[in-house]
Amino acid sequence: MRRVFVICDLLLVTCLSAWAQSNLTYTLKVGATGETKVLTEFPEVYSAEKVNINVQCTMYDVQRRDSLDFVFVNEPVAGLDAWGDSVYSYTDEGDVRWTVWRNHKEVKNRGQRVLRQNAYGAFEEYVVTATSKAQRGKGWIWWLFAGLALVGTAMYGCYILYGRRKEKELSSVEQEMLRRKRMGNRRHYGSQLYLWLLLLVIYSPIALIAVFSFTKSKILGNWTGFSMELYANLFSGRADAGLNSAIMYTLIIALIAAVCSTILGTLAAIGIYNMRARQRKVVSFLNSVPMINPDIITGISLFLLFVALGMSQGLATVCIAHVVFCTPYVVLSVLPRLSKMNPNTYEAALDLGATPAQALRMVMLPELWPGMLSGFILALTLSVDDFGVTFFTKGSGGLETLSTFIYSDARKGGLTPELRPLFTIILLVMLVGLIIINIRNNKNEEK
Amino acid sequence: MSKLVQIFSSRRTWAWPYVLFMLLFVVLPLILVGYYALTDINGAFTLHNFAKFFGHSEAIHTFFYSLMIALFNTALCLLIGYPAAYIMAMEDFKTPKVMAMLFILPMWINCLLRTVATVELFNILGLPLGEGALLFGLCYDYLPFMIYPIYNTLQKMDTSLVEAAQDLGANRWQSFWKVIVPLSMPGVYSGIVMVFMPTVSTFAIAELLTHNNIKLFGSLIQDYITTTDLLNYGAVLSLVLLVIIGVTSFFGDNDAKEEGGGLV
Repeated sequence: MRRVFVICDLLLVTCLSAWAQSNLTYTLKVGATGETKVLTEFPEVYSAEKVNINVQCTMYDVQRRDSLDFVFVNEPVAGLDAWGDSVYSYTDEGDVRWTVWRNHKEVKNRGQRVLRQNAYGAFEEYVVTATSKAQRGKGWIWWLFAGLALVGTAMYGCYILYGRRKEKELSSVEQEMLRRKRMGNRRHYGSQLYLWLLLLVIYSPIALIAVFSFTKSKILGNWTGFSMELYANLFSGRADAGLNSAIMYTLIIALIAAVCSTILGTLAAIGIYNMRARQRKVVSFLNSVPMINPDIITGISLFLLFVALGMSQGLATVCIAHVVFCTPYVVLSVLPRLSKMNPNTYEAALDLGATPAQALRMVMLPELWPGMLSGFILALTLSVDDFGVTFFTKGSGGLETLSTFIYSDARKGGLTPELRPLFTIILLVMLVGLIIINIRNNKNEEK
Repeated sequence: MSKLVQIFSSRRTWAWPYVLFMLLFVVLPLILVGYYALTDINGAFTLHNFAKFFGHSEAIHTFFYSLMIALFNTALCLLIGYPAAYIMAMEDFKTPKVMAMLFILPMWINCLLRTVATVELFNILGLPLGEGALLFGLCYDYLPFMIYPIYNTLQKMDTSLVEAAQDLGANRWQSFWKVIVPLSMPGVYSGIVMVFMPTVSTFAIAELLTHNNIKLFGSLIQDYITTTDLLNYGAVLSLVLLVIIGVTSFFGDNDAKEEGGGLV
């Protein structure tokens, strides 16, 4: 069975590589028209040395559309030039070169107009005069993958064909014994290799972050020698002020949201557990709605609510939004504890003269706290990780959590370098936690 | 006073605050999406926004394009994730939990940061940032959502059923397709739902992965909803997405809810 998987996946890699290969690189040459249009509305946005073109490309449907649309963004928005940085370059003759990746055989956009901001901050207008021939991108790596996958598939196929034939020559008893042997605890190195390869791919971007947290280069991927400076900056608060406040707000919001949703969710779970079947079904459905809804829907619907109510958006709205999507998970982690516990103990406590509050504290809580704790931790991680909901409910008052901070940072074209050590530390803490939990579990099992 | 005590000791009422909270912050907002979709900027009833959507070829294109990307990504995750889950569940690892956790651990790193790192990785390798990068990034981000539910169901599966099938003469191929696959279907369904729904509504990830060259439906909604004048049109787009989500969760409902496959 595993062989079939391996072959399927090798074929998949082959197809993907071949398909990726068809993504060719095209270069458009944009020549000056001679007619220079100087706009004076935006006189002093960029320093004189820096040249930026504020052209944003929108391609809605890469596969089907024949022509590209330029959307000229005349306002020099701080974030937009960064999109251009890697896409536009200048030729030696001073022409603008715009590189796009498309699946198409030809690109028609002669006569398109492009605005360029010159060294003095004024805008010049250009017209596309020529499109150069298609150039192959650095496609060799895909060919390598495709070749390797093909060779692998062929080798595996031969092995199976040969192996099968050999098996058929055996007597039925021997075949049976062979099968039994295979059913046993034989280790399958091929399939383990698959898992490790998958993990390698999954961890490679993360490893990139971790490795480059030990150099002080501003750009990820540019090694400028070993340095612990970023760690020092992070801990001494010398990092970007925006990052510091983002970390603080992320923690504050996560704590508030987790505490509120744990309290609300535990009470709700107790209530739901004691409901009659029909009521219970309705409330459980209600409970599952925020879990089914994707981030963007939860975010937008809450955004519309706050707009309709005229609430100003900020810390409070973000906290409410986080409680909304965290609580269902708390409810779900407390409910199983309830069904394990003896339902009569609470009533017994009441009969013995405890007030409901006392009974809750002294009878229910000791039984429920593992579920509450896991709900609390789940709520914390969900809240820290959230981007979609926060993005729509944070308002425009400058409140940023880590996620939205990274987003606006990435749009400006580069990550704040101190994010690298921060997430390396988070990863390490998680890894150590995982190992400790695992060791403990093993010990418990041994007992 | 005694009545009050009675109300409090009836534990059913303890869920009331939560129910109220949910009505106010989950149900009402969803109704508001519909309300905004059906009104113009002054709050008067109109169907103009819907008419605009059906005449708006860019939005329609983007919608079907995102749907296609989401379907493709789900298929890709299933193709890569099922074997991984199968191997993890069947192989006698000394520490199966560690293996499973290793696949989930990256999710604790902020997903946007991982996306940016993926972009940098593509840059370093000299690969173009187009559809390929988009699919790689999406698959990379949502793969754990596919692996984990399938792994869960496969692990809970009664292996003696497989042995019984083999004793009754089924070969490995037959016992896989007729026993293991049907038994793992609940996990597959919930994996599909858990990958498809976030992919179809993704917005920031696609933007970062393609340097804003490929626009998905989520980004389109984001553009409109954050523009005050076009908020009502944005609500129409959200409603369209909501319908897709509703349909998907309806199909996935039967099995996905029970098995759940929650990530922690």
